[in-house]
Amino acid sequence: MVSRILIANRGEIALRILRACRTLGIEAVVAYSEADRTSLPALLADEAICIGPADARRSYLSAPAVISAALVTGCDAIHPGYGFLSEDDAFADAVRAHGLTFIGPSAQVLERFSSKEEVRRLLAAHGLPTIPGSGLLGDEAQALEEAERVGYPVLVKPSAGGGGKGMRMVRSARELAAILPICRSEARAAFGDDALYLERWLEDNRHVEVQVAVDRYGAGVHLWERDCSIQRRHQKILEESPSPAMTPAGRRELAERAVKAVVAAGYENVGTLEFLVDSGGNAYFIEINCRIQVEHPVTEMLTGIDLVATQIRIAAGEPLGFTQADVRQEGHAIEFRINAEDPAHDFRPGAGTIERMNTPGGPGVRFDSHAYTGYDIPPYYDSLLGKLIVWAPTREMAIARGKAALAELVIEGVTTNVAIHHALLESEPFLSGRFTTNLLDRVGAAAFLAAAERA
Amino acid sequence: MPDQQRPGDRTAAQRAEDHGGIARLADALVPALVARLGTANLGEVEIREGDWHVRVRRPAGAGPRRERPHRATLPIVAPTGASTPHHGGAAETSAGPRQEVAVSPTVGMFKPGVPAGTRVRAGDRIATVDLLGIALDVVAPIDGLVAEVYPQAGDGVEYGEEIALVQGDEPIADVTGEG
Repeated sequence: MVSRILIANRGEIALRILRACRTLGIEAVVAYSEADRTSLPALLADEAICIGPADARRSYLSAPAVISAALVTGCDAIHPGYGFLSEDDAFADAVRAHGLTFIGPSAQVLERFSSKEEVRRLLAAHGLPTIPGSGLLGDEAQALEEAERVGYPVLVKPSAGGGGKGMRMVRSARELAAILPICRSEARAAFGDDALYLERWLEDNRHVEVQVAVDRYGAGVHLWERDCSIQRRHQKILEESPSPAMTPAGRRELAERAVKAVVAAGYENVGTLEFLVDSGGNAYFIEINCRIQVEHPVTEMLTGIDLVATQIRIAAGEPLGFTQADVRQEGHAIEFRINAEDPAHDFRPGAGTIERMNTPGGPGVRFDSHAYTGYDIPPYYDSLLGKLIVWAPTREMAIARGKAALAELVIEGVTTNVAIHHALLESEPFLSGRFTTNLLDRVGAAAFLAAAERA
Repeated sequence: MPDQQRPGDRTAAQRAEDHGGIARLADALVPALVARLGTANLGEVEIREGDWHVRVRRPAGAGPRRERPHRATLPIVAPTGASTPHHGGAAETSAGPRQEVAVSPTVGMFKPGVPAGTRVRAGDRIATVDLLGIALDVVAPIDGLVAEVYPQAGDGVEYGEEIALVQGDEPIADVTGEG
């Protein structure tokens, strides 16, 4: 049983968790840093406790401070939100060792799903397609043979690498032969290991993810997919569901395969499987997120299922309580991330006081935000100010509601990225649904905004 | 996390501007706010100017009763602007004898140390706060007499919570701030 939860996070997700606690009749204590004393979750909580200074390493990322706060406020569980300590298996283990419930997968499950490479192998073994690639490359002749098998264009990747370092894309055997020695020496310099392998390069891909929920007893459902292809520099800014890029049959097949694979692999609690989808509609598994995600409201709007409440109930040991047949996918939902950042200046993050704020409303409109008129945005954390989510029976109507809601939204005193959302809703690629993850980065956000203004 | 601007990122000119601002606040603004506090029978007065807000609060025990447990110990001077670095400084002022509050270094369980009435030197341990078995010191901010210890043994205290009032000897209105 869980009766009092420490919310060890900040911003809109802290408020979202607080709201879930309220509907479940669970008391909520918000743990905050000195910089977040005046944010809405700290003000609205049953109790709020300062756990450290603005520096997240000494507050939201400090496992001892978070656990100590839970103990002195009489909590029996900790909700980590997203980011910070949410996928840290050592933290989950420490929480359990102090007799508290970690709202998320158990430490053992988090550990099993912590290595991207191992998870890809694990879920591939359970039937999920991964991006085609080679084993470690030998000499040039063998490398060319492997590339032929994988299919050009290919990405040359250092085996020891990460973060995109030392990766090169080549389109032909001639290019590959020329680049191999360079890649080897770069990999040796960067990682002390010159082992390379190949992966097929997905030119124009979309980012589609499947939401799952699995209880402790092995009962699992999928809650359909979300399309998160609208990104800037690999950060999502707009998400929607259903994915306009996939057919109903394709979506169903992907979601069913995803939940089947994670249940078989022993996953537990809510989670998200991310896929790259190529222009041919083929989906390749890339990674799993073992936590609640920023864009979870998109799924909640379509299914009517409270994902945070589900997460808490599963962690408390309750059975899922619903079956796949109960998970409907009705209408169309779009989420707009409202960030305090300037799209005309390379998304430079901003901080300062919100002089005036008015949030939109009406049918099918939801606004999740920890901000309010007079709120000081601290400069220490990410720039997410809130999320506008709209729902309507069709994509076209959801876009119309999105336009109306964005027009109602007033945030004065800080620069926000609202202009980019307005521009997206006027752009042909978005309206037609034919866009890929490089829509904004290909031209640059400033050029995209300028083009929208001319149109 | 996005980029954060750190104090080290400030140019000399910006720092000079900060120091000028602090000096101006100390000389003009704080005395005016203290006077306002005295005449209006308020517990706290706050003004905002540019990147700064300054909050002047009555010392504990004087005027309106401070709450305890106060889960809302506000920083007295805090930057609000994007380009403003974090300042560790605080301006505190009172008209009577100098008194300062010793605060908790962490979130945890309170364990008493010295009783009220004990004479302490700045840096002396007044009490400890237990963070999952590790005792962290609550230290005296100034030389003086421990006038009051607020929490009881076993109370949960938060980071920055006021633990004890230390009564100094010098009657001054103290203003500090770091650029």
